Amino acid sequence: MNITETSNGGVAVVALEGRLDMLSAPEFRNNRSIIDPEKTVVLDLEKLDFLDTSGLGAIVGASRQKQNLACGIVLSCMNDKVRRVFEITKVQTLFHIFDDTAAAIDFATNRQSAST
Amino acid sequence: MKFTLDNIDGKLVGIAELEGRLDARNGKSLKKIFLEWLEMTPLTVFDCSRLDFIDSSGLGAIVGCLRNALEKEGDVRLAGLNAKVAMVFELTQAKRLFSIFDNRDEAAASFAATAGSGTGQ
Amino acid sequence: MKTILVFREEKFAWAHEAFPFVHPLLLPLCNKPYIEYPLDLAILAGSTAVRIVCDGRLDAVESYCEDGSRWGIDLSYAHMHPEDSDEILLGKNRRFCGDERIMIVRGFCFFVYNKRFDYKSEAASLPECKWAACPAGGSITLYGAPVTPRKDGKDAPMSIVPLDGMANYYRASMEALETGADNYVLPGYGVEPGCAIGRNVVMSKSVQIRKPVNIGNNVQLLGDTIIGPSAIIGSNVIIDRQSVVESSIVLDNTYIGEHLEVNGRVASGNMLNDPVSGASIVMEDPHLLSGIRESEILSTLPRKLTHALIALLFIVVLSFPFLLFAMLLRIGGLWKSSRIECHSEKPGKTISLDNIELDVKKPLGAIAAALSMDRYPMLFRVLTGQLSLIGSTARVAEAKHPNTPSSSLAYRPAVFSYAEAEEWPTTGGDAAIVERYHLAHSNAAADVGLVFKAFINNFHKKSSA
Repeated sequence: MNITETSNGGVAVVALEGRLDMLSAPEFRNNRSIIDPEKTVVLDLEKLDFLDTSGLGAIVGASRQKQNLACGIVLSCMNDKVRRVFEITKVQTLFHIFDDTAAAIDFATNRQSAST
Repeated sequence: MKFTLDNIDGKLVGIAELEGRLDARNGKSLKKIFLEWLEMTPLTVFDCSRLDFIDSSGLGAIVGCLRNALEKEGDVRLAGLNAKVAMVFELTQAKRLFSIFDNRDEAAASFAATAGSGTGQ
Repeated sequence: MKTILVFREEKFAWAHEAFPFVHPLLLPLCNKPYIEYPLDLAILAGSTAVRIVCDGRLDAVESYCEDGSRWGIDLSYAHMHPEDSDEILLGKNRRFCGDERIMIVRGFCFFVYNKRFDYKSEAASLPECKWAACPAGGSITLYGAPVTPRKDGKDAPMSIVPLDGMANYYRASMEALETGADNYVLPGYGVEPGCAIGRNVVMSKSVQIRKPVNIGNNVQLLGDTIIGPSAIIGSNVIIDRQSVVESSIVLDNTYIGEHLEVNGRVASGNMLNDPVSGASIVMEDPHLLSGIRESEILSTLPRKLTHALIALLFIVVLSFPFLLFAMLLRIGGLWKSSRIECHSEKPGKTISLDNIELDVKKPLGAIAAALSMDRYPMLFRVLTGQLSLIGSTARVAEAKHPNTPSSSLAYRPAVFSYAEAEEWPTTGGDAAIVERYHLAHSNAAADVGLVFKAFINNFHKKSSA
């Protein structure tokens, strides 16, 4: 899996590429922005091909560590396959999900400034 | 099942209170005890206001009672059916066999009015 | 022009309860799945793409509607939070919206429209506004600048009836049946108005059909039945001899027995509902129900068998340590056993289980816990089929809440849990996530692997603690 990180104002954009599974989950979990409880992250899933429970667990676990539980992690651009994994596990209710990364950044920036 | 006898305008009307569930388990005993009631009077009101549930065996038992009562030129009239029980009577068309009243007093009084010979309309 | 259809689970929860076999958005309304009505409306209004957004599951809807090519539109799906405003929804679907005019249709509602009017030019020319709304929460709102100038002419009719319960569902279905193909696009072949009949419908000569009726596919109407007036008969339905169905809806996969009179009712499976009083009764049919139960057993049999076999293996392998530890720990007073009542897999039923508490602070207790000795007595319950080997952690039945929570669709009490196998938190909502994942994804073989994984995880966790 490839993790690309860019910064956009106060919001970190973490783009995942490839598979997020048992092997790659630790790398994701230990990412600087993901691990920082104060950092708001937009997770760009456009190039994520595969997600299993370990990967899902890593994303859920990361959002649980965020100070801002409701939108510490905002998701964007998930493909249909990944969306179905979120759906059957009802995890979609824990996240705000956008189909556009720019829109997700706007939303996250708004929420961040509203909470501080 | 509580059974009381009431004298209405000189007519002896039996009032039976049905309670809880009427199904395969207690349908037979109703038919049996009904024959005893029938010795006392052919005119009976089944007060169903506390009857929660009835299935096809229970319905069969009530229809059996009606048949016995009709043979003795009497009648079985029903009172106080809740929505679910009423639905069973409508679904199975058993509704047409019985005179059905809102409460037991109306049902009992109807025997006095019709001289105890009607089989319902 | 594009349309976003927004549905909130809370609004159709009643339908899920009343008709558990079908996704509320696919609930047939005059033999046409509900979702097609707002879709038709979106298409009438000139949409080239439609997105269905919901805060709950959409998989059933997705597998029915697919990508929308059947209707000649692009159909996609997305999630939302129940409290999301239109503004947030437009943001969440920004890529979908692009810079086109957007119509947001909200609510589990029946939209009263008439296909002969020109909704397309109206949707294109109206200013940004609420086109229609009803107090219960349904609305149609237009966003973005008008595409074409406003034309003169009659306003196309548009009103909204919320589908908030059986009564309105019944009313809306009857409205669709009675105005029928004049206003809506309805399924079935009709030789004359008010009478639409699907494929493979078998009726004996003595059947009477009284208009209006709408009959689905694979329907058998046996001798002397009377259908209608105002009857909606779904697909895979049998109406047995001398029965009458009038002013009623008979949903898919329903059998109506002999000599019955269904009037003003909604029948679904073996349930008969009265839309006015809200009461419902079970239509008994021992033959039909026994058939369904058997096939259920058959489909789960390989899984149960696998679970039992592996449980047997565990019983044999762990028998010696169990006897040893049980004896030693009992003597040491580190073994506390009690009976607890837990929810069974069957809704409303409970099973009583041995609850063994080990004192893990003492080394002997810790080793026993690492070997999952506290689960050992439960293994025998797998042999009798009362428990699964892997599934959910058994939930204690509380006297106050005797029923299993309705949300626990994936609940299957077991010796080991999927959460343990995947090292998820074993309590609360997070464990339910992994249970739902495996309910959809697992099979007998995967279960075996996960059982061993759970056992080994327990071993590591307890022995390191």
